Amino acid sequence: MIKISKVNKSFGQHHVLKDIDLEIGRGKVVVIIGPSGSGKSTLLRCINYLEEYEDGEITIEGDPIGRRAANGKSAPMPQQELNRMRQEVGMVFQAFNLFPHKTVLQNITMAPIDLKGMSRAEADVLGRSLLKKVGLSEKEQVLPYSLSGGQKQRVAIARALAMQPKIMLFDEPTSSLDPEMVGEVLQVMRALAEEGMTMAIVTHEMRFAREVADTIVVLDAGRIIEQGPPEKIFTQPDHPRTLEFLAKVLQAN
Amino acid sequence: MTFDFSVIFLGRNLNFLLHGLSLTIVYSCAGFFLSLIIGTIIAFGQISRFAPLRWLSLFYLSWFRATPLLVQLFLLYYGLPIVFGIDTVAWFSGVIALGMYSGAYSSQIVRGAVQSIDRGQMEAGRSLGYSYMQTMVKIIVPQAILRMLAPLTNEFISLTKNSSLLSTITVVELFRQANILIADTYRTLEFLLAVSMMYYILNNVIGALGIYLEKRFRTGGELQ
Repeated sequence: MIKISKVNKSFGQHHVLKDIDLEIGRGKVVVIIGPSGSGKSTLLRCINYLEEYEDGEITIEGDPIGRRAANGKSAPMPQQELNRMRQEVGMVFQAFNLFPHKTVLQNITMAPIDLKGMSRAEADVLGRSLLKKVGLSEKEQVLPYSLSGGQKQRVAIARALAMQPKIMLFDEPTSSLDPEMVGEVLQVMRALAEEGMTMAIVTHEMRFAREVADTIVVLDAGRIIEQGPPEKIFTQPDHPRTLEFLAKVLQAN
Repeated sequence: MTFDFSVIFLGRNLNFLLHGLSLTIVYSCAGFFLSLIIGTIIAFGQISRFAPLRWLSLFYLSWFRATPLLVQLFLLYYGLPIVFGIDTVAWFSGVIALGMYSGAYSSQIVRGAVQSIDRGQMEAGRSLGYSYMQTMVKIIVPQAILRMLAPLTNEFISLTKNSSLLSTITVVELFRQANILIADTYRTLEFLLAVSMMYYILNNVIGALGIYLEKRFRTGGELQ
């Protein structure tokens, strides 16, 4: 469903993604792991072109997003098309990025109203059902500042889901949370995975990755060094760098 | 020396001053409105991806911020008729000059506030499918307005005080009315103190308005 082919990305001289090829099937959960600075977040952000990669192609159900091959060369697509494609890709950020001047319910309903032409009444119904799903029905009228980190992140997930995306991207969704709040966010993500949402996740929560992922992708220095089912990656990885990385992370846990 | 403040209330003197005050208010509001429009254009010009717009904005800023308002006022009032043969109405030149001068300052207030908003807000908007422009209008600017309020209140007050310079190009406004009355009555300090008081009250009303608006726009996350 998502097909990433030959994606390359540099920040100036620094070549951060090297010939990335990756496929994510419908309803599958892919967890991207790897040492810090390996390009995990950058790869994830390329999928909705928040990070502008220079070369290669990413398609969602066959439709390219961000860049498109034209005359054998990869060129950026017009902004209007990009905006439309982005509606189909939900994104959850490490820093939540809720809109502080809008109530919790408005955070969720504004995009469907503005971009999909949904009526306020319809959007409110949708927003309330999503708030119920993430367990925050009683918070609909408050401003985000009064929420805890875990609650903010659950609202952010509901906001992304309100656009009814085909895939959800999670960029270290629990990394800025206090330990006791990590569970509530992972619980929502787990439920989403069970419903069959296609998901790409960057996380350091290895136990969660092992439990939820269909495929683990290991990134090192901008390259995918291996990918496979969690059982394989966590017990008998092929690459020594994977072993080294997992040893470090698991030791820290 | 003795003060005789009763001269202010003599005959139609007070009405004469209040008429000046009302015109000062009108010119200041018009100038500030223009300042906000110019300020917004220059601010977004300065952060534009399009280089010529950036240069143009920087040039505007460098000129209007680095030359005295009084000189700009004279240039506009005397210069336009000489160079272009345009017949200038004094108050109109005055308002334009105030707006253009203040616009340079406003632009930096707008730009500073917009750029102080976390880039995560832009990314969140774009990731939902909003365009750059939509994200600016719906998400960034409403948050930036709160941060603009205090310095824009300063700018409005500053502009109101600067409007007294319009008297030098024959515009009828508060300070000019005071000078006329002083010439008539020789009661210099009485009238200067009276107009000082009027400016003082007017500007503090603007100050209070600014604080009121700040309270209304708060989102709760601000340092108290």
